[in-house]
Amino acid sequence: MEHSAYIIIVLPFGNNLIKMPANKKHLDPSFHQRFAKITAGFIGGFMITITLFLVPAILTDPVIVLFTLKFAGFIVWGTLMIIPFLFKNGWKAWGIYLLAIILLSSLLLLIKIQSPELYSGL
Amino acid sequence: MSNRIYNVLFHTHTVSGLVISVALFVIFFAGSISFFRDDIINWEREQPIKENSQMDIDFNLALDSIENQHHLYGRDVTIRQIHQERRVMVSATPGKDSTATESALSRIFFYLDPATQQQYSYFEDFTLGEFMYRLHFFAQIPYPYGYLLSGFVAFFFLFAIVTGVIVHWKKIISNFYVFRPWAKLKTVWTDAHTALGLIGLPFQFIYAVTGAVLIIGSTVMLGPVTSLLYDGNSDKMFKDLSTDVAPFPFTNKPQNYELDINKMVLKAEQNWAGVYASQVVLQNYGDANMHVVVDVKPESDKKFAGLGQMAFKASTGEVVFERDPYTETSYIAGAQDFLIKLHYGNFGGYPLKIIYFIFGIITCFIILSGVLIWVEARDKKSNTPFKRKANQWVSAIFLAISLSMYPVTAFTFSVVKLFKDVNDPQPHLLIYKAFFISWLILTIIFSIKKDNYFTNKYSLLSGSILGFLVPVTNGVISSNWIWKTFNEQQLQIFVVDAFWLSTSIISLLIFLKLKPKGKLEQAKVKKAKAEYAI
Repeated sequence: MEHSAYIIIVLPFGNNLIKMPANKKHLDPSFHQRFAKITAGFIGGFMITITLFLVPAILTDPVIVLFTLKFAGFIVWGTLMIIPFLFKNGWKAWGIYLLAIILLSSLLLLIKIQSPELYSGL
Repeated sequence: MSNRIYNVLFHTHTVSGLVISVALFVIFFAGSISFFRDDIINWEREQPIKENSQMDIDFNLALDSIENQHHLYGRDVTIRQIHQERRVMVSATPGKDSTATESALSRIFFYLDPATQQQYSYFEDFTLGEFMYRLHFFAQIPYPYGYLLSGFVAFFFLFAIVTGVIVHWKKIISNFYVFRPWAKLKTVWTDAHTALGLIGLPFQFIYAVTGAVLIIGSTVMLGPVTSLLYDGNSDKMFKDLSTDVAPFPFTNKPQNYELDINKMVLKAEQNWAGVYASQVVLQNYGDANMHVVVDVKPESDKKFAGLGQMAFKASTGEVVFERDPYTETSYIAGAQDFLIKLHYGNFGGYPLKIIYFIFGIITCFIILSGVLIWVEARDKKSNTPFKRKANQWVSAIFLAISLSMYPVTAFTFSVVKLFKDVNDPQPHLLIYKAFFISWLILTIIFSIKKDNYFTNKYSLLSGSILGFLVPVTNGVISSNWIWKTFNEQQLQIFVVDAFWLSTSIISLLIFLKLKPKGKLEQAKVKKAKAEYAI
């Protein structure tokens, strides 16, 4: 009797199972694509995270923002590491990340030129 | 989510999980045991203490004895007790008097036993509890590589958790109820991996984030900030991010004091309800501008994260600075305390520690099942024989390293009880030898045997037997038998013995229930098919 229970539990999900491993035909095996996606997330993502927090750190209370960076930074960085994998072309992800880094760091530079007192206050 | 993205993310989940698997297992296994770090230390030293008796020491007496052995003038002396044990940590900065001798310019760090006034260097103080605790962030690997390794493992664990959730998202509810223990071996691991992964998700997310923050938050995350915002002056940044009371200037005018520090600590503790002292700092020791700063923390049920401070001018005894832990806790002090409490699991007594321990072991199981899914999924006829063999080797070695940690840990507990000499200046050598050599030998034996069923079965059996021996050894050596420590309420000693007794019983029961997988599987599948046919 106990085995009939087993069948009832299993059958409704018979066609609804997780398929493992990942289907290879959807993976881009080329080395330079993988390299681009991984480095975009790991290096580019890290640079975006840091600069993203530095802008409010300078404009508002640096102590609070920097401590927030210390823990929230890992969550932001982790998210930015996933995003490049959504792109078909990893170099396009790098391009967008590079644009964000340039934008944020030029903003930092601009603040430094325009109002250096914000930096010297640190 | 398109089919392509699903498969791509699935692949990142697999690869990131596999890369960190062994290290993450060691971290979670050693870390779970480290929840009982303080109990293990008190068990090992036979020094049970009353609960919540942190910083319950005679500061006047302690300082007298410290001053007898160290030149303290001009230093900032800190007395802390971050763990529930008898000894307190004493540290001192170099003296600020520029004409001081060389010995006065070096830092001081030691442990002080307030009951005997005996001082212990870091290594003289080393214990098995400290060993397990430090193993869980690979501190045995030279700094900074061990720290960086464990920190990045925590960060990639976060990556694996998030990609795992995304991949699993659509079926997160339905698959939770799927359990097919009698189908293929792969489905057993898959169902266990997804169901337990969902139950443990909040726990694991907390540990991935707090783990990364505590070990590489200051170095990796704030490293570039130093050069970008502080012109490379990291001291300045860490001073900004410090929660200590701002330093009072050193005047270099020696003065004799008859200080009653106990009174100051008591005053700070009585100033607010439900707080206890966590740290006492004597700034500019022996100087005309000497100050005594007492940090207090609210008990967890009064306020989860808080820091109160009271600074006294030593010459007059007047209060010159006051910070209310309930209303004036700063953002960083609160956030810091919050992260540490979440990670240490020390805010709910033993019930919470036991729950956290179980979740830690569940996470170990999720890591194991994840690797086993990977192996089973690739054990197909379409793969070349060489690849299939290589995969089996990987799984055999992985299981050997992971599962043998259990008997090895139990074995080291008994070794420490039997052979550790209280006067040994380097007790860490004994612990390292007992743990790492037996771990290596067992790993090699299990890897060569290359039978996952055998590894599992005999890790459980040997761990169970060696675990039973821990309370027995303790009883024989120290005559602190488990019923005696229970009756005399020597809580920490009892907890460690009871821990080994209960884990041994559970693993023995699992051992007795284990049946060779091949036979079991065939029998069940046959039966199920027969029933289905009817």
